[in-house]
Parts: sequence; structure tokens; C-alpha cells
Amino acid sequence: MAFKIGIDVGGTFTDFLLMGPTGRTAVHKELSTPADPSIAVMAGVAALAQGQTMAFDRFVRDIEIIVHGTTVTTNAVLTGTTARTGLLTTRGFRDALQMRRGVREQMYDNRYHPPAPIVPRHLRLPATERVDAEGAIVMPLAAADVESAVDRFIAEGIEAVAICFLHAHANGSNEQAAARLVRERLPRAYVSVSSEVLPQVRFYERTSTTVLNAGVGPILSRYLRNLTQKLEQAHYRGTLLIMQSNGGVAAPASVARLAAMTLLSGPAAAPAAGLACMSAQRQTSFITVDMGGTSFDAALVRKGQPAITTSGTVNRYALALPSMEINTIGAGGGSIAWIDDGGLLHMGPQSAAADPGPACYGRGGVEPTCTDANLLLGYLAADYFAGGRIRLDAGAAERSIRERIARPLRMDVVAAAHGMFHVINVNMASAIREISVQKGYDPREFPLICAGGAGPIHGACIAAELGIARIVVPRESSIFCASGMLRTDLKHDYVRSYARALPQSHAGPENGRIRLLLRAMQAEARSALKAEGIAAERQRLHISMDLRYLGQYHEVGVHVPDKAIATLDRIDWKAIRALFHQQHDRLYGYCLREEDTPVELLNLRLSAIGVTDKPALKRQRRSSAGCAHALKGRRPAYRPDRGGFRNLPVYDGDRLGHGNRLAGPAIIESVNTTIVVPAGYLAGYDVLGNCILNARRGHRA
Amino acid sequence: MKPRVKPRTDPIQVSVLQRRLKSITEEMGLTLLRTTRSPILNEARDFVTGLYDARGRMLEQTEYIPVLAFALQPACENVLRFFGDDIHPGDVILHNDVFSGGNQNNDVAVFKPIFHGRKLVAWAACKGHQADIGGAVRGGYNPEAREVWQEALRIPAVKIYERGKLRRDVWNLIFANIRLKIVEEDIKAQIGGCTVGERGYKALLARLGPTKLERLLGELFDSTEKMVRKEISGIPDGTYRGESYAFYDGVTDGTKMKIKLAVSVRGEQVTFDFSGSSPQTPGFVNAPQSATASALLLTFLMLIKPDIPHNAGILRPIRIVNPEGSFLNARFPAATTFGNSITGPTSDAIFRAFSQALPKMVTAGWNRFLGFAVSGHDPRHDAPYVDILFLSLKGGSGATWMADGYDHIGLINCAGGILAQDYEMFEIHDPHFLVKHEYLPDSAGAGRWRGGLGVETEFVMRGDNVTGVAFGDGVEEEARAFGFFGGKPGSRNAITLSYPDGTRRQAKSKEIIRGIPRGTVYNQVAGGGGGYGDPFERPADLVLADVRNGLIGVEAARADYGVCIDPHTLVLDAARTMELRRGIP
Repeated sequence: MAFKIGIDVGGTFTDFLLMGPTGRTAVHKELSTPADPSIAVMAGVAALAQGQTMAFDRFVRDIEIIVHGTTVTTNAVLTGTTARTGLLTTRGFRDALQMRRGVREQMYDNRYHPPAPIVPRHLRLPATERVDAEGAIVMPLAAADVESAVDRFIAEGIEAVAICFLHAHANGSNEQAAARLVRERLPRAYVSVSSEVLPQVRFYERTSTTVLNAGVGPILSRYLRNLTQKLEQAHYRGTLLIMQSNGGVAAPASVARLAAMTLLSGPAAAPAAGLACMSAQRQTSFITVDMGGTSFDAALVRKGQPAITTSGTVNRYALALPSMEINTIGAGGGSIAWIDDGGLLHMGPQSAAADPGPACYGRGGVEPTCTDANLLLGYLAADYFAGGRIRLDAGAAERSIRERIARPLRMDVVAAAHGMFHVINVNMASAIREISVQKGYDPREFPLICAGGAGPIHGACIAAELGIARIVVPRESSIFCASGMLRTDLKHDYVRSYARALPQSHAGPENGRIRLLLRAMQAEARSALKAEGIAAERQRLHISMDLRYLGQYHEVGVHVPDKAIATLDRIDWKAIRALFHQQHDRLYGYCLREEDTPVELLNLRLSAIGVTDKPALKRQRRSSAGCAHALKGRRPAYRPDRGGFRNLPVYDGDRLGHGNRLAGPAIIESVNTTIVVPAGYLAGYDVLGNCILNARRGHRA
Repeated sequence: MKPRVKPRTDPIQVSVLQRRLKSITEEMGLTLLRTTRSPILNEARDFVTGLYDARGRMLEQTEYIPVLAFALQPACENVLRFFGDDIHPGDVILHNDVFSGGNQNNDVAVFKPIFHGRKLVAWAACKGHQADIGGAVRGGYNPEAREVWQEALRIPAVKIYERGKLRRDVWNLIFANIRLKIVEEDIKAQIGGCTVGERGYKALLARLGPTKLERLLGELFDSTEKMVRKEISGIPDGTYRGESYAFYDGVTDGTKMKIKLAVSVRGEQVTFDFSGSSPQTPGFVNAPQSATASALLLTFLMLIKPDIPHNAGILRPIRIVNPEGSFLNARFPAATTFGNSITGPTSDAIFRAFSQALPKMVTAGWNRFLGFAVSGHDPRHDAPYVDILFLSLKGGSGATWMADGYDHIGLINCAGGILAQDYEMFEIHDPHFLVKHEYLPDSAGAGRWRGGLGVETEFVMRGDNVTGVAFGDGVEEEARAFGFFGGKPGSRNAITLSYPDGTRRQAKSKEIIRGIPRGTVYNQVAGGGGGYGDPFERPADLVLADVRNGLIGVEAARADYGVCIDPHTLVLDAARTMELRRGIP
């Protein structure tokens, strides 16, 4: 038997999904071990073996593939425990990293501190050299400067060196010369070179990305060494793949070279998980949300393509590598309710997290949280939280909401709890607006996939805020990202900057250089995929271009369809121009097609995909529509439409499946997920075991 | 008559409404950020978006730089006064006139009325700093101006769309008087932003209905007012005085203009009285009333809780006395383009006044703004180019209790809201070759909390026929960012041009320099912010860290901070430091 395992290391839990040849086999959650996350990984694998009643060695031998999402790099940046890093940069510009272009995100707060730079100034050392905007070498590299910088790095015990020179996007040879000198004298250091990491125009963004890559490079390498060692000791012979921020996976060796590609990888598997979840319904456009204890992640997928951004940040430092566009806000079960001086209610972004946790956990938490409100409103059962493993104290929840919210607002405690529920729903709906409305998409055209422990309680109400009529609660709601990891392809992204007017035709003089740059990326991409064992027929290369109207600052990424670029000798620039106008119009409500404003090319991009085998999804046998067998009982729950409590039927979600249908109002509970089906909604299960909520025509929660 | 019973307040719905209004103004802002073409708008973010009620009161606003915090409401009120009931669905109104509510000639506002049925219920509006607005000098900063017509085309409230139809004649009249084509595009982008706002507000109307919406808005104003009143009531009652100066009126060397401020706090009310400030100047160093009010409001917002919603409720407990005829409220037809740049001196006076009442909230002086707008011919593309050089003008902010100043933040008008240009994009856009852009050592005012660092910029100008317009302050010793409670002042601003023939020229703080030849080296130092508290109380290890990082010299560490560090090994001499700090020479 061949197993596949998806492993998602989170802040509190490490999630596991085990797939066998016939689909889903088991789900497991293990407490994370932040000091060395591989401990929880191995413990979880052992638990999965036990679940299969197999000996550990035998089980490990049968694993064909492990896809692993890790937050070791993200945590290192957030906690300031990155590797000791030095920066070598063009003389005269050593402060660009720390300056962050002089932004203060909170304009009125004079105590708002800038984040500490990953490389302090005394380790940011200059080299005399210069390339101009056209890529010409104006000054060759002064080797003596590199030598003296390396002396300093050695004396300071530097583990990683970032090299970023001005305009290295146009010509990286000075950087390469410096890198050779550094590698000679510091053979053990992790060397991160901007023209390799991200040959893309904009100095601060490239410097910051290159430095982040250096700062987390040794940490990720160390972790991967540690993990592969443990797997080898267990005689693991399968493949290990690592989740990247761009939503694809890559082999450990490749990820170790571009460690920064894991920095935003936490929620990056959600779109892939969404695609799998929706496959039975043949739907490729949707919004996914994942609501955990402290944060809420929202992503939009259109026609199978997740939105990608190159303007991410980590700890307020720019990360310009392509990553899934995921909007994260501080909203979760632990979000704390508070009242401002004007008497208005707010939820979060502060969270009671897992410790002390919501008041109802009875671990000393006194602040009223979203979970407390959900308990008071009857959406959560005191005796069935996490399948009964955590007993909730309804009295503590009520006391906390009464004293801190209801009394100051002179409301009754139930109205206060419902206010908390409503405010957090509006916050989450706003976060979804940012990735839909603000990008030119109408959320009503996208079903809402609602995952995470707390998500499905709020799903219908969030959807109603946005006018979305269909909510899907995935079968693997509580381990959503882990489930996506087994369904991702290998993916590598390449970029070359070339700031020029967009050619008018394929005869234009710029075509030669563009061809050269595209060919270079194609060659690099094919060899990377080949090294990962991907045969040519499984390789897919996609070209896109960053374009803008002359004089604009922000560029628009335009996917170039294969037919526009059938051969590099005859690129259909007219078609590309038309696509740009169209996309600009969708994003910003206008385009300058008629005015004939010149269009500028800024970056050429190439995404290389290595298509992997996806495990089969387990299809359920259809049962009769009746749900009586799953009815656990009734409990009073708050009905927003009526403004009072009513006894609602509570169903055991683990006993419901394909073919079952029920009408709201109702509550569906399983071990890690509770679904609230409001009045006016019909719930049904599809062939994959996903629960689908449909609003009846004209009805809103 | 029966007394009207005030309906029960609904804090939940009001919270939700506030979030929704904020969302709308943010969406409007995003539209502008993405669609405008001038770097002043999309890079420096010199614009504001907002929603106003039928009476022109601010419902919600997102200003991307603080100096626009109060830039729209007076203009909106003026538009209403002028058009009265001649306002119809589909109208779009343009306005910039500083003598009817505008704050700066270059800041052009677009107003779009929002109707429910046939009733005017609100306005969507945005205002952005245009790359050109006519007048004698491209870009609008004209230190030689003596009256408004030499600065700008005046646009009092004018309809450019009437009932949905573009008034082509009016449109052409306006843009025939403006040099750059992109201004036309950017006004279109602003109209687009207002359409986004209108759409959002109409959705809100449909959801809540006009009556309920109006009631909730009233409650929102009350709630905001309550928050501000609470903040004010925390300030001890009394009258507090602060003074500061703006330097050089652009006409007569050595001139100084005084800002005289008396702040009276009585319970939950605060009055800012500028009576006694210097009379208006003959040049362009004058502010319209709206600019002074904006300067005041942005400084005040820094003294209270940062998360109070920005709506008309915030203004209710604040009274401003600013008699006409002073350089803070100049009479028609004064030149006023420098008005926003008086924000620095105005905030200095406010911080000084509040230093007695709120010593832990005020900051020491911020580095004053000194800009240099260049325009000329770019030989690479055989085309004209303009740039305001945001890259080189961002100095440091003043330190405050428990926090150092912010490095390279730039003028207080923007408070870190404008970004310095990216070096590579700068060289792609302009015929300039950068040599240096780094923190300026020893620029930060010493203090227990030190000022923010200033920055030195140097580049070679490779354009032809370049004209530079210097406009700003902070070049005199006396104009440095001041220190507070024993803190030292920050460093000066300076712009130096080194011509290819070997001569050098130091720019005045306000002047036009014409005929700058290709190959001239431009050097600008933007100074640091002022320090807060006695520098001898600053922990020695923090001073050592700055020395190791090359931000404070060994000499300055010793003289200003009483910290002894070996110049060769950069090791701290703790014993000697203790002696120095005890005054043992």
C-alpha cells in the first residue's frame, strides 16, 4: 500500500492528513513543538502508523510522498531569531533596508516603532561598484571592498551574506563577482544574491527580499537537514516536498536555496484545498476562508487560478517573491471584545489565543471572546468542544460578557453576545471585500468555502453580508491546509525586469532582448523541474508580463495565453496590449484604450509547473435523504432573524454524508467543526462529503 | 408640543456602520492609488477621499497624508452654499479656490452628490495634489508670486458634469490653462474614485434605508464627539501658550514670521487662538484658513488616541480663532502656495503649548520640510520631465517620552505617509544618476530619547535646461528641529549645487534657480529631529549601538551624551562614562 501524507505545522497544532490509494484514510492533530517542529512531525507520523495498526518502520516504508508546510522561517522573522546576517551593497546606499522608504504605517502614533532591521547597520557594508539603469557597468567591482567586508563578517561570526547591488536586475555580473569572492572565503556561509533571488527592478524590495532570504536560509537548511535525517533514520524512501508561498511545492534542495519562498507559505495551500473540495461540483471560482483561534485568512480563486501578489510583507519588511494573495486579519475564536471611549463595540485584533484562552476555557481568561459569545448564543456546546476534550464553562462566558460588554453598553447579555457575533462577521466580510470588490470581482459570483475550527459557525452570516448564497464547509474543514498540500504541483517562479515601451509588433527592435530573457528563464525552469524528476510532458510553462500605462507607478500582471506567444519570434503584442487594457478596466474601472496612451513593460515573468499525481478523492456512497439517524438532540440557540432563542435540532456531522439533506435552522456538530445552518438555508452533502449550505431564494441570515 | 424621545442608541449597528463607511473611503483611495498617473498622487499619496453628509459634514475620511485631514469639509460647505438647490444627480463639481474653502491651489477637489430618489443625501469627494495647476511656474510652487493669479488657475465651485453630461466647454477651458496632460487623466481618476464612493454609499442606503442611516450617523457623530471630549477632559484646565517662527518670506532676507498661539482648555472644550501672529507676507509664505485648520487638526490627532474615527464629531469640541489678515489666514488675493508648509511651524507652536499640559504626549521638533522641485528636458527621451524629489527631503521626527524620533520620516504634514522614491525607478524616470542616499550621522538631536535621523542625498543632474524651485524651511540655525526637556536640536537642512565649472551654490529656502547645467551635482541634507529629555540619561548601550552603527560619532557621544567610547575598538569605557555623566572632566 502506498500512503501520502500532508503535514501542516501551525502555531498550536500540527495537522496531518493521511491518504491511501482509495482516498482519505485518516486525520490527526498533534500539539506543535515550536523549539523543534520535527518532533511533532515524527510523533504525528507515529500516531498515524498506530492508527493503521502498522509497525512504525513498515508504515514509513509504505509512505510514497510527504508534503510538508512549515512555519520555521516565518517564526524566525517574527521572533527576531534569524541567522546572523551581513549585507554587501553598493557604496552610498547601505541604509535602504532599514529605511523601508521612510514609511510609518501609523501616521498619528508618535510612539510607533520601526521594526528592527534583520541586518544592523554595522553589518551592512559598502562596495564600490556601479551598474546603471540600462545594465551597463559604470564602475567595476572593487575587490578590496569585498575582502575587507568579508574580514568583518568573519570577525562577527556571520552565517549568511546577502548581496544586493543597484540595478543588478539589469546586470548581475558585479554581484556574481562579489559572490565568488565571498564564497571563496566563507564557504560555509549561506549566500543570497539579489540577481539570483529576484532579478527585478526596485531596490528596496529586492534588497529586503534578498536579506530575508539570507536571514532564514541557514534556519530552513538546518531544519530540513534535521527532518530528512529523522526520516532517513526511520528508513523513509519516499519523496519529501515543501510547501512554498506561491501555492506550489518544491524539493528540499531547491527550497533551501530560496528559503524566503516559505515565508508566506502558512495558508498557501488553501486554494489547492478549495479546488479539490469543489471538484465534485465542477466549480473553479470561489473564495476560501479559514478561521482559526487568532486569525482569519481569505483567498480568491478564479477559473482555477488563485490570485498572486508580489507585494507581500513579513514583519513590515517587503517580500517581493510571488506569493498567494491571502488577506489575513486578526479575527478568530479567541478575538477579544472591547468598548472604545465613544461607547462602540469592537472585536479583536487582540486575541486570548490558546493561553489563557477565552473566558469559557476556565484557564484564567477574563476577557470576553468570540468563542464565549458563540457558547452563550448556543452555537457551541459546552460538553462537545473539540469533541468533548475541552469542557467549556458557560457561566464564565456569561459573566465575562455581562461585566465587560453588556453592563457598560446597558444591553442585556444576549444582545451583547449577538453584537459581538455580528461585529466580527462584518470584520471578516470586510476582509473578503478587500480581495474581491477591491480587485474588481463581485463576491456574489463566488461560493464561499468556509474552513477552520470556528469558520462554519460564522460562514452563513459572513456570506449574507456579502450577498453570497452558497457556502461550502469542506469535509476536511479543521485541517484544510494540510488537505490542500497533497494536491499541489511543483512550482517555480522566474522574473526579469526590462523597462521599455511595449513593442508595437514582433518586428520591433526590443523583441530580440525580450526573446533572450524569456529563453533564459525557460531554460532555467526546465532544468529545475528536470532536477526534481519531472518529465518534459509534465512541465508547463506560463508567461506573464507586468505592464502599466506610461507614467503610472503600479503595474498590472497580465497572463499571456499560449496562443499569443506561440513562438517567441512572433509574439502577438496586439493581443497582449488588449489583455492589459481589459484587465486594467476590470481592476480600476477604466482603461486608456481609446486615448492610445503608451503601454510600458516592466517585468517578464515565467511560472514553471511540474504536474504531480493527485491522490484520488474518496467518493461517498449516496444514502437516503433522511437525517433522523444523526439527530443527537436539541438545544436552545439564538436566532438573529427572530431575536430570541429557540430549540434547534443538533445533528452529528460524522454520521451525515452524501445524499443527506436538512433544512435550517439546525446545528451540525462533529469533533473539530460546528456548522450553524440558519433559518432559510438548506444543507446538503455532496459526493465528497462536503456540506453545502444554500440560501433559499430571497432569504438572508 | 410633545418632547421628542431620543431613540435608544444602538452601539452595535453604529460600530458596523463606521466600519462600512471606512471601507468605502478606503476603496475610493485604492482606486486613486492605482489609477492616477502623477507620482505625487500614486507614490507620495498626496490625496484624501471622503464621504460628507447633505450639509457637508464629514462622515468618514481616509487621508493618505495627515495635512489633508481637514481639507475637504470647508470646500464641500462652500459648494453647497454656492449651488444651493441647483444640485442634481449626475453632477460633478470641481474646486480648488483657497479663498472659498480650499487649502492649497494645487489640491483640486472633485465632488459628486449622492441622491436617494430626488433628495440629496450625501457627497462622495476626493482631493489630490495636481502635478500642475497653471500659474506662472510649472508645478505651482512659485516663490516669486505676489498674488494668487501668479500661482494658479482659480477654480471656484464649477460643474464639469451636469446631470451626467460632460460640459466639454468648461472642461476645455480648465485644461487649456494647465500645462500637463496627466492632470486631466488624474482628474478623471478622481471622478472614478467618487463614483466608487457613490456606489458604496448607495448600497448602504439600500441596506439601511435613509431614516435609519441618518439616525445611526447622528449616533456615530455623538460617539466620536464623546471620545474626543473624554480626551480633552483629561487635559488639565488652563491656558497654555506656545510660539514658533517660520523663516524667510521669500522676499526679504532675514525675515521671521511669528506664530503666537494660546490654547485654552475648559472642561471638554478646547480653543486654539492664533491672535497676534505675524501679518500676511508680500510673498507666498501665507496660509489659507483651511490649511491652518488642517495643520492644527493633524497635530491635535497626534496628541489624542490614534483610533478615533475621522468624522465631523471630532471637530465639535474644538474652536479655532484665527483672525483674517495674518500669515495664517491671508486675505484675498494673497499668494498662499507655501501654506501647507507652514504646518511645521504651526505644529511646533502646538507642541510647545501642550508641553506644559501633556508633557508625555508632545514630541520635540520635527525636521522642517525643504523641497526642491526640478523640471527640465530629459535628453534620453527628448521629452520634458518634472520631479519633486521626495527621495531627498525626508528628515527625522522629534522624539517623545518613551520613544526615539522616527528616522527619515519626512515632514510632519505627511508623518511617514509619503514614500521616498525607489532608487532604481528614480533613475529610470529621471535623467539623474544617484551617488548617495544614506542616514546622516550626527543629525539626530541628542536626548534621553534621540530625534529621528536625517538623510543625505547626492546625485548628478543629467537633464538640460533644468530649473529648480526651492521651497521650504529649516536652513537657518534657529530653524532646526528644537529639543524638549533638555533634549538637543536636530541638524539643519541644506541644498548645495556644485556646477561643472567648479562653482557652488547654496539654495535659499525659497527661490527659483534657473539654467542648471547638465553635470551639476545636487546635494541635499535633510536634518534630524529634536531630542527629548537629558541626553546624559540615555542608556550608554543605546549610545554605543548608534556609535557602532556609525550614526553618532565618538566625539558627539562624549560631548552630547557623556558616553566615553574608544575610537579604535569602539568599546565602552563605563567608568569614564560615569565620571563624565557626573560632571567630572
